[in-house]
Amino acid sequence: MMTSSALAGYLIVSGLLLVIGIVGFFVRRNLIVMFLCTELMFQGAAIAFVAIGRYLFDYSGQVMVIFILTVAAAEAALALALVVLLHRQRDTLDSDVFGELHE
Amino acid sequence: MDLFLPYIACLTFALALFAALKPSPLKLRVTLIVIAVAASGWLIGLITGSLSAFTDASQGVFFVIFSLCAIGAAIRLISHDRPVYCALYFVLVVLSTAGLFLLLEAEFMAFALIIVYAGAILITYMFVLMLSNQPDEMNNSSLLSYDSIPREPASAVAVGFLLLCLISGTVISGTEMLPEQGTPQSQWATLPHLSKQFEASVMEIDPAFAWPPIEDLNGNIIQFNGDDAFVVSSEGKTLILPIDVLPRNTQQVGWSLVNDFPVSLELAGVILLMAMFGAAILSRRAIELGEQEKRSMFASSSSNRSNEQGNEE
Repeated sequence: MMTSSALAGYLIVSGLLLVIGIVGFFVRRNLIVMFLCTELMFQGAAIAFVAIGRYLFDYSGQVMVIFILTVAAAEAALALALVVLLHRQRDTLDSDVFGELHE
Repeated sequence: MDLFLPYIACLTFALALFAALKPSPLKLRVTLIVIAVAASGWLIGLITGSLSAFTDASQGVFFVIFSLCAIGAAIRLISHDRPVYCALYFVLVVLSTAGLFLLLEAEFMAFALIIVYAGAILITYMFVLMLSNQPDEMNNSSLLSYDSIPREPASAVAVGFLLLCLISGTVISGTEMLPEQGTPQSQWATLPHLSKQFEASVMEIDPAFAWPPIEDLNGNIIQFNGDDAFVVSSEGKTLILPIDVLPRNTQQVGWSLVNDFPVSLELAGVILLMAMFGAAILSRRAIELGEQEKRSMFASSSSNRSNEQGNEE
């Protein structure tokens, strides 16, 4: 069994991970680390899903984590392919350099 | 609980995070990160109340260890100068999250998370980092200027602070409005669908068990009496099911996946396929062959062919 205050503890941990991910996404200028920060936000969401699923004894919460993994894998593949493409063009990973997309 | 204490904890966390993002000597930075982790631990403590909120004290201790590990590694991730170390700290976040999943009795997802994230996605990140990491010629060090100087840390941390206040306020006021906790009995609902396993486990307990006629079964074959789950045979005999007959976590998740979300499962497959195509198309490098190269390629292939014919003869 899981008390509601234990659930609150798990939810605040997931909220903290989400907030750190958002701050990191704004603060970092390296494209790859920015994408790592989005993965951090996914982790926060996954903890919230599993904790609420455990509280309600509903396994849909864990199934949602499978879908989160799917989206994260697809996002990583596409984003990293784009990063490799951009790095070939400008020879840098600084996101500010790509502010102007024209040649 | 004092109404303002959680917000003071949030403010401490945000200030320490802001200071840790600025470029500074390693010792000062580590101290600031420890302060931020301590503030987040204080916030968690204020909201959880005490370790007695958990079923036993060891579970509470492990919860605190894993969550502080995850938060500390996450802060180090967004404040570290070198992207490769950022990726390694993300592995630590994933491992701590897997530990939290184990505490939540989600064993399958814990290990799937380690295999998929730490094993596959992180390797992709490391590959791209290794492909693209070049030292900066300008200041003649291996640190890149865009990795060590943060962009707009003040406004980013302000946004993060507001969001954290909102989340903790919602969690504090929301714990009273939570829906009723689910009953452990709902865990048994999967068992009748796994009919072979169900039958075998019942036969193991009582080989002479007489199944009721199939039209009487309609879904509620497992009945509950307080904490015990039991089945009633056609002769009216009750058979109490022991707890180890309960389907395992993997079976439960698998059943929920294919029974409740079949369309989403198909969609996930299509998304993965499209991502694979997209990545292959985006990252392929078109090679333009000149006239000379085409000719030499043709010549070498035709000479190979004549060689093969010669061998056959």
